[in-house]
Amino acid sequence: MLFKKRTFTGQFLEFTRICSFSLFITLFCITFISQATNQFRVALTGKYPPFSFYDSDGNLTGFDVDISKALSDELGFDLEIITIEWDGILAGLLAGKYEAIIGSMAITPQRQKKVSFSNPYYISGAQLFIHEKDTSSIKKIDNLSGLKVGVVLGETYEQFLRTEYPQINVITYKSTVDIFQDMKNRRLNAFFTDRLVGMYQIKKAGMPFVTAGDLLYHEEMGIPVSNPVLLNDLNNALSNIRSKGVLDSLHRYWFESQNSVSSQTMNINVIVNRLLKGFGITVGIAFISFFTGILFAIPCGVVLNGQKSLYKFVLRSLIDFIRGTPVLIQLFFVYFGAPQIGLTLSPIVSAIITLSVNSCAYMSEVVRSGLMSVDPGQKHAGRALGLCRLDIFRFVIWPQAFRIAIPPLGNSAVALLKDTALISVISVGEVVREAQSIISVTFNPMLYYIIIAALFFIFTYPLMRFTASWEKILKKRGFMHD
Amino acid sequence: MIKIESLSYTYRGSAVPALQDISIQFDFSKNSITSVLGESGSGKTTLLQCMAGFLRPQKGRILIDDKNIRQMKEKEFRSKVGVVFQKLNLFPHLTVLKNMTLALNRVQALSIEEAASKSDKMLERLQIHELKDMYPAQLSGGQAQRVAIARALVLKPRYLLLDEPTSALDMNTTEDFSVWLRSLHETTSFVIVTHDIPFARSVSKKAVLIENGQIKMHNKIENVMKSFSNS
Repeated sequence: MLFKKRTFTGQFLEFTRICSFSLFITLFCITFISQATNQFRVALTGKYPPFSFYDSDGNLTGFDVDISKALSDELGFDLEIITIEWDGILAGLLAGKYEAIIGSMAITPQRQKKVSFSNPYYISGAQLFIHEKDTSSIKKIDNLSGLKVGVVLGETYEQFLRTEYPQINVITYKSTVDIFQDMKNRRLNAFFTDRLVGMYQIKKAGMPFVTAGDLLYHEEMGIPVSNPVLLNDLNNALSNIRSKGVLDSLHRYWFESQNSVSSQTMNINVIVNRLLKGFGITVGIAFISFFTGILFAIPCGVVLNGQKSLYKFVLRSLIDFIRGTPVLIQLFFVYFGAPQIGLTLSPIVSAIITLSVNSCAYMSEVVRSGLMSVDPGQKHAGRALGLCRLDIFRFVIWPQAFRIAIPPLGNSAVALLKDTALISVISVGEVVREAQSIISVTFNPMLYYIIIAALFFIFTYPLMRFTASWEKILKKRGFMHD
Repeated sequence: MIKIESLSYTYRGSAVPALQDISIQFDFSKNSITSVLGESGSGKTTLLQCMAGFLRPQKGRILIDDKNIRQMKEKEFRSKVGVVFQKLNLFPHLTVLKNMTLALNRVQALSIEEAASKSDKMLERLQIHELKDMYPAQLSGGQAQRVAIARALVLKPRYLLLDEPTSALDMNTTEDFSVWLRSLHETTSFVIVTHDIPFARSVSKKAVLIENGQIKMHNKIENVMKSFSNS
């Protein structure tokens, strides 16, 4: 633990150092660059394939990136692409950190109140997709009454379908990957998503799905700019690249041909590295949580095994509460609840706290029952020899209780290791999250879930064997009564 | 000398006192062995528990060498009075030797080596040296009984209380055990609580007879036995 703590501090220091350094560089660049007239700074997220994303070699690429290049060439500017989170992307434009956002932003009246948009550079919208075998039965949305239709949780399509088409059975999913699996297994009849994103993902995953009917509603993607003078130039440049056919060929490349997909497959080294790194984090978190948990479980077990007291009452209620509620809810409670009392914990710290507390609750019970199983005569014998209370605990009671507690403690360790799979929900980059991220590119969930199961099993199996053989030793030594 | 003055003890929730106004004086002029005899439920184990400081009598007092045990520090009391329980309560996770060295090391603050050599000598003296590295679960009833006594004796208590030492022994081993026990009382005086009359006669000269929580007799073993068989 101590070692780990030091690493945390080390990482933190390194992080602050990097932050201050990059802040300095950024400030320097901003003051320097804002004087350069030829600079064309464009913002996008880099997290929205196929529009903007990092390829397997770590290079930024995508439809929006290519559009940015084509436009800056047309304008005769030097292009600089800045990646920034979607949440803060408009604020950055208003603050003058870049001249334009080429990030697939739909033109909406609300946004138009704040910034000026260029003419749309592409049009997309809500598209119905079906299995290719259903093309004769499902032709448009009206054929979907009573059928199951998937959408990704939180996307605007869900609300739209529920209000406009209440007769459709809408089912929400965590990601398109899961929708694809259920479509393939024919558990779903159809799904809705953005037309271009959907077409790209289907092509990438090699799925037998096709579009059905027209766009349900469409969205025009424009380029917000900070400087109205630039707007005219940009609109001219847009119509120029359109008339030159650049726009069409980019559209074809990214959304219709197979070329864009081949650059998308993931390098095996990258996959192995990410999975191993993720599993390292999993094991690390489980390890820290286990030892923190047992550190507190010993005194808790002693109190629980002791005489009636206020401490015992409070502890008993608390432990019962923790054992009686799902660890997932506890995780949300710590992760989302702590900031409300002014404590903003990182996902990893939240995960470690939750799992430590949770495993402490279970292991306290194990320690308590271990202590309870030691014959009270042992304590008397210790006293009769003149040992003090602490020595009786340390040399007589605890060694016996611990031997009894080892098998159930081993089970707790196994359970804890498996529980770490849950923490992917608060975006800790452990092995399940890493796998989900890989699957979102490679679209073969079964393979990766089998690999993960195997990784877990490699760790839990020896633990379980050890537990079992320890029980045998206990019986041999006469600690355990059959 | 152990002196008990008008001692009464009633278990919680019980209407009948287990011990009622008991007064005895155990005189160990020559480090002798005294037996406390009585039927089951007569109160003899309760008396031993009071003398061992595990039960706190509601009335009366116990004096060890003229000192009230209530006024003694636990450490001082334990250094004078040892106890061997009916269930022995050997530490199952420790070898015979470790069972013995633990208190020498932690209470008498001897080094591990000193404690081990002292225990070695004691085991040799008690002719059970070959048991040294065994675990309690590997011992027979008679061996375990001897080890429990050795564990208490190695601390050199002035008095040693034994609770039903023959309960786990068969007749032959009981005889061997009696012979063995008689050879021990050089520096330590024994109080043996038992209902095993032949054993009591073979090891002790004096006996106390308890009936229904009261002292019936305290005399030479022969006299006590006569009275016991008459009643």
